Amino acid sequence: MIDAYDWPGGREAMLRFGPAGAPVVMLLLPLFEEHNRTRAFGVSVLRALAARGIAGALPELPGQGESLVPTEALRLDDLRAAAAAAADALGRPFVATVRSGALLDTDAAVAGRWRLSPQTGGDLVRELRRLRAQGDGMTVAGNALSEMQLAELEAADHLDARIVRLESDPAPAVRKIAGPPLWRRAEPDNDFALVQTVTADIADWIATCAV
Amino acid sequence: MTHIQEAEVAQIVRAVLIDVLGIAPARAAAFDDATGLFGTLPEFDSIAVAGVLTELEDRLGILIEDDEVEAEMLESFGALTAFARAKVAG
Repeated sequence: MIDAYDWPGGREAMLRFGPAGAPVVMLLLPLFEEHNRTRAFGVSVLRALAARGIAGALPELPGQGESLVPTEALRLDDLRAAAAAAADALGRPFVATVRSGALLDTDAAVAGRWRLSPQTGGDLVRELRRLRAQGDGMTVAGNALSEMQLAELEAADHLDARIVRLESDPAPAVRKIAGPPLWRRAEPDNDFALVQTVTADIADWIATCAV
Repeated sequence: MTHIQEAEVAQIVRAVLIDVLGIAPARAAAFDDATGLFGTLPEFDSIAVAGVLTELEDRLGILIEDDEVEAEMLESFGALTAFARAKVAG
């Protein structure tokens, strides 16, 4: 179902999955190019959660995905305000983030936080600057990001959470799982086994969080 | 982070190319030092270069400065592996 939520800067769409009245997982995908690369994976996870009786929501964030807000005008505080408004609309959901989506739930009232391969703002911006250097020297995958925007993102970090990473990633995590880094693929791809592993981990985590 | 042995570097470079470029593991297994990368593999475009470098940094625990990135080191599997090995050795 395509729902919507209001935040101080306007209205954005929110995809909803699964039964009403069930615990809800709000999924925050990575920013910019990685958003498109992980979208099919994210939707697959929400559908698989729904099959287990767990509801899901994928809010469009301003300037990302299908949103009509121009990326050039976007501030980190806007993204965080939108994520907080989406969480309020859902009523204290569990939040699951992928990569730089971890930077966005700072102001959201949530029941718990779960992260797949979270990226700090510093790592994100280092990569954005490199993409810009490899490309036309001005834009990042078509997005004209200002130095102000980059500086804001660079200083951003994520709150504590259950952190799951891929086996290929040496950074600390409570669990390492097998699978490809779909956010690296130039051609969007999906991975059924990774969807199943991630879905099971989120479902088990929610069961341990539940009071 | 456990220290990475030099011998493991080639395997990690291969894994990064599989993951970032989306090429089949069997194809990557046949890569040798002379296998051409940037300018030869159609999948290895400028966007992929950024992904490969960043993923190598994360997996090898190294930092690659922009002014170190030259066409020669991306030219072949052998050149990229030699670069990564030198960075790991510090």
